[in-house]
Amino acid sequence: MSTTFLPCGDYHQNYAQEHAWWQTKLIKGKMILLFLFLFVFIPGVADSYWISVCNMVGYTILGALGVQLLIGYCGQLTLGHGAFIAVGAYVSTMLILEFPWPQFMLDWGIAYPVSVIIAGFAAGIWSVLFGLPSARVKGFYLILTTMAAQFITVDFLLTQYVSQIGGRGQAFSLPVGTIKIGPWVIDSDIKVYYIMIILVIFFCIVMSNLIRSRVGRAWVAIRDNDISAEVMGINVVKYKLLAFFVAGFIAGITGAFWISNLAAISPEHFPWFLSLFLVGVILIGGVSSIHGTIFGAIFMVVVMELLQLAVMPLADTYPKLLMDFLFIKEAAFGLAICLFIMFEPNGLAYRWWQIKNYFNLWPFSY
Amino acid sequence: MELFLMALTNGIMVGGIYALVAIGWVLIYKCSGVLNLAMGEMTLIGAYLSLTFYSMGVPFLLALLISISIGFVLGILTERIFLDKLIGEPVLAVIMLTVGLSFLFRGSVELIWGTDTRVFDPPIFSLEPIMIGPVSISEVYLWSFIAAIILLIIFVCFFKYTRWGLAMQATADDEMAALSIGVSARFVYAVAWAIAFVAAGVGGTLLGNINGLNISVGYLGLLVLPAVVLGGLNSIPGAIVGGIAIGLLQNFTGVYLDRFFPGAVKEVAPFVFMAVFLLFKPHGFWGWERIERV
Repeated sequence: MSTTFLPCGDYHQNYAQEHAWWQTKLIKGKMILLFLFLFVFIPGVADSYWISVCNMVGYTILGALGVQLLIGYCGQLTLGHGAFIAVGAYVSTMLILEFPWPQFMLDWGIAYPVSVIIAGFAAGIWSVLFGLPSARVKGFYLILTTMAAQFITVDFLLTQYVSQIGGRGQAFSLPVGTIKIGPWVIDSDIKVYYIMIILVIFFCIVMSNLIRSRVGRAWVAIRDNDISAEVMGINVVKYKLLAFFVAGFIAGITGAFWISNLAAISPEHFPWFLSLFLVGVILIGGVSSIHGTIFGAIFMVVVMELLQLAVMPLADTYPKLLMDFLFIKEAAFGLAICLFIMFEPNGLAYRWWQIKNYFNLWPFSY
Repeated sequence: MELFLMALTNGIMVGGIYALVAIGWVLIYKCSGVLNLAMGEMTLIGAYLSLTFYSMGVPFLLALLISISIGFVLGILTERIFLDKLIGEPVLAVIMLTVGLSFLFRGSVELIWGTDTRVFDPPIFSLEPIMIGPVSISEVYLWSFIAAIILLIIFVCFFKYTRWGLAMQATADDEMAALSIGVSARFVYAVAWAIAFVAAGVGGTLLGNINGLNISVGYLGLLVLPAVVLGGLNSIPGAIVGGIAIGLLQNFTGVYLDRFFPGAVKEVAPFVFMAVFLLFKPHGFWGWERIERV
């Protein structure tokens, strides 16, 4: 599932063409349409409910990108990614609320961007710490250590200690106006949407460039067979830890970005369910595919919202349904994962690839 | 000293229940190579089934028996419907399938039985503690431990002396050889899941008797993981020792470390221990060491 086939009659004449982002004029046109759709159409048409759904999709994409990198490209199974998102969110929050920023930084509104970057590095280092066992163990055992990361970070450190700072107890509230970038105060869904879309595009580009560079090829070699990768001269431990760092960095930025959407932050935002959810997203979307991450996120979030919209009208007649909906959602999510693994193990991205090739090659499919 | 003895006895008693559930886990792994993350939800289903029958007025032992037999059927169904297709698939797919199953089970349990804490009413075991020398043990713990031990013995006899048990041992040892002498591997997988469901159900019922039953009893399913890692993934004696060790670890940290790290140290300690243990001895004490280095 690597490259798509070009239409009959289109050929690459040099390597630069083959590596180009947008290979034909048609693709360029489609991409411009996509950008118009994302930056003009959605903010113009969608009401605030659907904008918030879009934000949720973006948050899921950003979170799942790191999981995709670890599982899909480096073969390191992880079930504790929510912990690193939590670290990013908390580092950023703590920096904004507790750190004595110089007044000029607050005035210029660079406190939040700086805290986001620091949060990324903090989460990356935290992630490397829990990736260290990957030097010795793999597969199922790695799942256990990353799971331990989740419980140690969120259920223990954040709940028991970090949440007690300042005597607040449970949650840290983020009043409107604390989060601002430059002169803009991030106070509405639409502003969060713009940050989200820029971050998603940026990290998708970063990821796909990383994957096709020396680093990415080393990761893929480790995923396919770590012993032969080492024989080929790849420093396995270094690249594994690098994968953990990059994944943690993205998770940290994700968490730090997400606090701009929350009025208060508490450990309940980052349960173990989130970590499992992100792995489910990439399985449904398609492992080892950046398209897959995006499709999976859209599928999971939008389908659940549609399910909710479908159930809500019935709630008037069956009031119990409103409360039970959470459980139905949970069961439906589990069933979706099971069905996708059983019947569509390549995920949605594979279907997308087939459809795209069908239209590219039509009417001469040879 | 008294505190020490109390932590010791309680740890061993609760550890017995963990060992029971851990055996179910190891059984599935040994026979079919499936790493099961849905164990906690399987305990929940068994526990809620016996609670439902008990509160309908059925005597406790009969209720337990009914829930065991329903669990047996459910185990076979789960294996047939979901896991049969995935034999030989990559490890991530199978693990995530069990994660999917755990969501499915938990969602269904919450849907059917709600999220409130339920207790076995009227209580089966009296609340009066039993004094053994200087140590007091509550009756629930004692009976749970005895029940767990009896079940462990039954399981061991089952594997040693019955036809099914021998077939399962043969499959676990060498699947190809077992197939060639006429053991049906698919039958063995199904029975392994059925027995795991039964073990989980009994463990869940016993735990539900201790503190009442709610969704957090499913947390036990995660505690099983440190236990099996300690003992080695494919060793039944290892699962017993690991389960008891985790029970002890929990109670001792609860008693002695809670002063220094207030809060949930009891819940996290097994996982911290597991993460550190994996660094030094990834195959556990009795697991098979595959010779393969990174």
